[in-house]
Amino acid sequence: MIKTVPPAMLFILGALLIPLLKGKLKQAYLLVIPALAFLDILQLETGTAWVYHFLGYELVFCQVDRLSLVVGYIFTIIGFLALLYSLHVQEDGQHVAAFLYAGSSLGVVFAGDYFTLFAFWEVMAVSSVFLVWYQKEKRSLDAGFRYLIMHIIGGCSLLAGIIIYVVETGSIAVTHLGTGPADIFILIGFGLNAAFIPIHTWLPDAYPEGTVTGSVFMSVYTTKTGVYVLARCFAGMPLVAYMGGIMTVYGVLFALLQNDARRLLSYHIVSQVGYMVAGVGIGTELAINGGIAHVFNHILYKALLFMSMGSVLYMTGKRKLTEMGGLAKHMPVTALACVIASLSIAGAPGFNGYVSKGMIIGSAAEQHMPVLELMMVLAAVGTFLSFVKLSYFTFFAPNEEMKAKESPINMQLAMLLTAFLCIFIGVYPEALFRVLPFHPVLYHPYTPSHVIGTVQLFLLAGLAFMIAKDMLAPHQGTILDFDYFYRMGGRGIVWACVVPLSAFRSKLQTSSSRATDIITRIGRNPIMLLEIPAAYTYLRITQGLRYLGGYSSGETYNENLYRRPIGLGVLVAIIILFALALIYFIF
Amino acid sequence: MKKTLKMIFYSFLVLCIPAGFFIEHEHAVFFWHKIPSIDVVFGFLGAMLLIGGAWLLARLVRREEDFYD
Repeated sequence: MIKTVPPAMLFILGALLIPLLKGKLKQAYLLVIPALAFLDILQLETGTAWVYHFLGYELVFCQVDRLSLVVGYIFTIIGFLALLYSLHVQEDGQHVAAFLYAGSSLGVVFAGDYFTLFAFWEVMAVSSVFLVWYQKEKRSLDAGFRYLIMHIIGGCSLLAGIIIYVVETGSIAVTHLGTGPADIFILIGFGLNAAFIPIHTWLPDAYPEGTVTGSVFMSVYTTKTGVYVLARCFAGMPLVAYMGGIMTVYGVLFALLQNDARRLLSYHIVSQVGYMVAGVGIGTELAINGGIAHVFNHILYKALLFMSMGSVLYMTGKRKLTEMGGLAKHMPVTALACVIASLSIAGAPGFNGYVSKGMIIGSAAEQHMPVLELMMVLAAVGTFLSFVKLSYFTFFAPNEEMKAKESPINMQLAMLLTAFLCIFIGVYPEALFRVLPFHPVLYHPYTPSHVIGTVQLFLLAGLAFMIAKDMLAPHQGTILDFDYFYRMGGRGIVWACVVPLSAFRSKLQTSSSRATDIITRIGRNPIMLLEIPAAYTYLRITQGLRYLGGYSSGETYNENLYRRPIGLGVLVAIIILFALALIYFIF
Repeated sequence: MKKTLKMIFYSFLVLCIPAGFFIEHEHAVFFWHKIPSIDVVFGFLGAMLLIGGAWLLARLVRREEDFYD
């Protein structure tokens, strides 16, 4: 039997070969690696493997249980689909970045200790930023830097937490955490990747600026690894549950204001990740199953949404809802993909989002958390509204000027396959239930009250959309978020450096160079120190006497007047050295 | 076509309300789970609340396109 390898290694080592291959061979290779990784995960056995001793600690590269397996499955499945979607991309750098990104995310998922987790965590941040930078526009470059700064801050918090944890406990194994100081630092580090409010701003900032294909990868890995580690370390924490609730509503509310299609989708990631975080925070078996099921489903429909909006951007160059409309005629496959993904994310019966969202909302009620339940129901209504808006203004709103062709065949195929999976899990949730962390899953999604309730919710939200369509119409403009404070804070720091600090520096430089100057002069001729006052007094006196005597001061300056033979300096040096030697011998 | 779709939408809308009276919530926990067709109210009020909220929020946070430049 072939020995399994850590799935992360397949991607990370696999990335090295990409630049060496060309044409069809490269395309085949790009698809074979995720397929191999998937088969590899299927073969993994529960327990720990690939353990290394390092500085007295045990590094575990392959910690396998039901939780890591299910996330591993979906990470490789979507890796395959996203690579299929990006087969036409010629730049090797993009593929390498995507491979490293997917690989390091799998590394985090299967890491059994905090050191390994942290290392992969940082690779994830650094590799993913290239998927933004490859867009090669100034705004992507800027957004990429902001993304990186926030992730480095998050990484530092995580590292600080890990160090405190290791010092306190002496162990580096990834386990459930509580509310100690170390745990809080780690929670902030994890929470930044899971887009906790108000440290979520990197997400709607960078994701819309990524490349067409890069944003598909980004929509999948970073936030979901965040949810995964929260499920592993902070399950059952009410603070996390309510943070999830806030994220659901906050994301939806801001999504409703957006004009950039991919920024709208990004705010929905915040909102949907909120459901997962809430599920993890509630912490019951049903809730965690629901949260992880939502990770699985969300990855499918959100990647599909990014694929479809990416396809529109790729074929039309348009990214704003105010510039789009009437695309359903020209891009039927993309439109179909968008509608299926929209129904999935909204949670319409028959689509995958319906199943997992119901599990989380149901578990909030079960745990007697009425506020959380209502927040999530409200967010579900908002999600439906928002996607009616997106689909309508992109594909169905009248726009005769819009002309476009359907996207390349690989993009269409990827969209259709992903759409199929969204529907498949929607109509046959058992397939997903079988791989969830807690087995068996005692949940029945298709009960009459669930189905009718959801249909009522959506029909009435649809009616509200028809009544207030004008209020929801997209508008030009920048929507401020918490990033306003960060950007203004950043500008404040730059101002403080450029104006007061720089003035202080130049003042300091002037005075210190003056001091150096004096010291150099004195060092050159120490006797001068005694001579200067003497000469000065002599000069003043003679000048005064000359003035009194009626002489003019027309006498020119003679530089040799103050010079002494070099022997004098040597003499002084010898005297000082002698004195030093004397002091040394005596004491 | 557009008219037919609208007719279908409205007929579903009208039919879904009485449908809620024939079924019961399996795991009623809070009092609103016991009210028949409560999701009709949640759907409409929730949507209106969000649309109004978003409209107000836009007044507060929407700036010109090149605000940060």
